[in-house]
Amino acid sequence: MPAPVAIHHLSKRYGRIEAVRDLSLALNDGEIFGLLGPNGAGKTTLLECVIGLREPDQGSIEICGIDARHAPRAAREKTGVVLQQTSLQEKITPREALQLFASFYPAPLGAGELLERFALGAQADAAFDTLSGGQRQRLALALSFVGRPQLLILDEPTAALDPQSRRALHDDIRRLRDDGCTVLLSTHNLNEAEKLCDRVAVIDRGIIVATGAPRELLRESSAQQTIMLTTRPPLAPERLRALPAVTTVRSDGDSKQIETSSTTTTLAALSTMLAEQRSTIVELRVQPATLEDVFLRLTQSDQPAATL
Amino acid sequence: MNAFAAHLALSLRLHFRNRIALIYGYLFPLIYLAAFAVLYRHEKIPLLRHMGELLTVSVLGGACFGLPTTLVSERERGVWRRYRVAPVATRSLVLSTVLARFAILLSAGALQLAVAFAVGMTAPANPLGLWIAFSAVSFAFIGLGLVIATLADTVVAVQALGQCIFLPMLVIGGVAVPLASLPGFAQHISAFFPGRYAVEALQACVSGSGLSGARFSLAALLAIGTAASCAGTKLFRWHAQQRFADRAGKLWLAAVLAVWIAIGYAAETRGRIAPSTITETAPAPAVVDPPWKKITSRDIAEFNFNLPSDEGVVAPMAPPDEEPPDEWARGVAIVREKLPAWRPGLDTDEVQRVRNLLCVAAVPDAVQHPLERYLPRVVFDHLIATHEKTDLIKILAWIAQHPEDGAVVTDLTAVGFDLPFSGDSYIIREREMLYALKFIARLTGRKPE
Ligand SMILES: Nc1ncnc2c1ncn2[C@@H]1O[C@H](COP(=O)(O)OP(=O)(O)OP(=O)(O)O)[C@@H](O)[C@H]1O
Ligand SMILES: [Mg+2]
Repeated sequence: MPAPVAIHHLSKRYGRIEAVRDLSLALNDGEIFGLLGPNGAGKTTLLECVIGLREPDQGSIEICGIDARHAPRAAREKTGVVLQQTSLQEKITPREALQLFASFYPAPLGAGELLERFALGAQADAAFDTLSGGQRQRLALALSFVGRPQLLILDEPTAALDPQSRRALHDDIRRLRDDGCTVLLSTHNLNEAEKLCDRVAVIDRGIIVATGAPRELLRESSAQQTIMLTTRPPLAPERLRALPAVTTVRSDGDSKQIETSSTTTTLAALSTMLAEQRSTIVELRVQPATLEDVFLRLTQSDQPAATL
Repeated sequence: MNAFAAHLALSLRLHFRNRIALIYGYLFPLIYLAAFAVLYRHEKIPLLRHMGELLTVSVLGGACFGLPTTLVSERERGVWRRYRVAPVATRSLVLSTVLARFAILLSAGALQLAVAFAVGMTAPANPLGLWIAFSAVSFAFIGLGLVIATLADTVVAVQALGQCIFLPMLVIGGVAVPLASLPGFAQHISAFFPGRYAVEALQACVSGSGLSGARFSLAALLAIGTAASCAGTKLFRWHAQQRFADRAGKLWLAAVLAVWIAIGYAAETRGRIAPSTITETAPAPAVVDPPWKKITSRDIAEFNFNLPSDEGVVAPMAPPDEEPPDEWARGVAIVREKLPAWRPGLDTDEVQRVRNLLCVAAVPDAVQHPLERYLPRVVFDHLIATHEKTDLIKILAWIAQHPEDGAVVTDLTAVGFDLPFSGDSYIIREREMLYALKFIARLTGRKPE
């Protein structure tokens, strides 16, 4: 079975800016795949090339084995899309929108079924401009689902949502995956990527700098874990620094923050040292590395944290 | 339901849900109707004579404003971008938008006609022809609407571009102001704009000879519509950032303009510039005193009789006893001989008849022909011989008061004077007025001979 999305050596430039550079990527069937990257990394450009809103300069895109650049219409039949913002006509109702989009696909789902599934029953006949942000986003998701897509592409689907709506949307997306759909989404929200995505790709300046399951990325990255330790009597920082695998030690009053590349190694040596020094533990916590740490390290930028 | 039918139905439904669109689409045409009825009420001209103009204004508004406003506002909101990523052909969506607009225009036109009937208009001469002409007019203007929609990035730009097409056509394109009352230069310009052909085609079916009398106009509308629709579809933009201005795009726009120019040129070379006179089938208005009868000696005293010298280059006139030199004597004699039987000089409308005769003096003057001194005398003698004196004075005074009314005759070959006049008819009108005043001065004794 062909990959739901296979991108080969894709490039797209805007004048001097190379937004996507020789990028290759393949999705597995039935996964939720996240594109992570700082502002201007090229995520939107990549997604827009995949859904045919932009013409790439080079490279090929296959959707379920269909060459999307040469048979865009066949590719679109397999794909559901949620653009970052979907504004429909002011006076259109969700039911009418679903009925219209149903006419675009060969074997559409019924409007009634989708309204119920995406909890829009009460708003079925309300004008679009009276819907809330979350309702609009659910409608956008429902519209993307009309054609029974095998692939769902979502550009920052939860950017404008409150925590409840975001969680509900996550549940929706997971449900779609469980129904056999492959999902490709871009996000700014690392927490979301960590919780929702089976795999992520970190993009920076048009290239993929890392791919893998969020946990795997954490494991593979040389990201440091931190041991927060308070003892009585306190241990001297020099002694702690001498422990194996420790890179830095910072003091914060009695509490010490020990960064280590291997918690296991450090903790084993630490317990021996505590016994020798007759020191007792007041507090011991291990803080895991976050995707944010990985992300910042990979994209080597000082600023993205502010926009995440 | 297929995409075409579904989008057609939705477009119509949304149109009737949009209050602003309803006001523009239905209320404005009725306001135009009321305005025309008020404007022309003193002329006792039945509404029928203006139905061509009225329907054209409605179609212009709906097609060159309504259509692109809807399209561009949907595009601005990102609706068309969303359509783009669904498996649906551009053709289906654009075609259904256009067809919905045509249905909207038809309903607005029908409403306008219905209200016109209600206030006393008689039935159009050729309803089937009218329907065909209306369709051709809609086709031409919807095409232009599509072009506007592709050129404009925002709804504001639509309004601005729409005005650029709307206003000139209204004012000097023969849509709101009848061609016959436009100066010569405007009649030439109007030949390059579709508005004039729209009015001509519609009016021919409302109160004229039907479609057979409007073949040129129909062809012009179809050509304009075809070029514009092709350009509008080829240049169609799914989202505002998408540029149309590549080379192929500019070529399509050039093609649209080329069609306008070609039609104007064809009109020029076929002598279709002067407004065609439409043969009336409507009942003639009741006989009333012609307005020139109301001229009084007071009106005449108000004229400025400080006129150019009879011996100068502007409006010269030989004294009664001056014989032309031998080389010109024969030319003068021919005109004098042919004038009594000259058809324009026998026009049943007194004012137009005298205007036509004045042209025999004015045209040679305008082209500076050597006969210019002698022909005014021939015309003057003929007028005195064929008209009752007090009536003649009043008619001349009316002409001097209304130099821009009526038609101008520039072709005098039938009286043996074959120097062509190709300038602005405004000059002829001015000279006509001067001779009218010179004749009044002589008839009222202000200028003794
Ligand atoms: N239409 C355009 N014309 C010119 N440059 C563009 C255009 N669209 C994007 N770019 C540039 O291409 C680069 C990639 O932009 P893109 O929108 O794909 O990034 P992104 O990862 O989606 O960013 P964000 O997270 O801020 O949405 C940026 O440097 C941007 O300035
Ligand atoms: Mg983006």
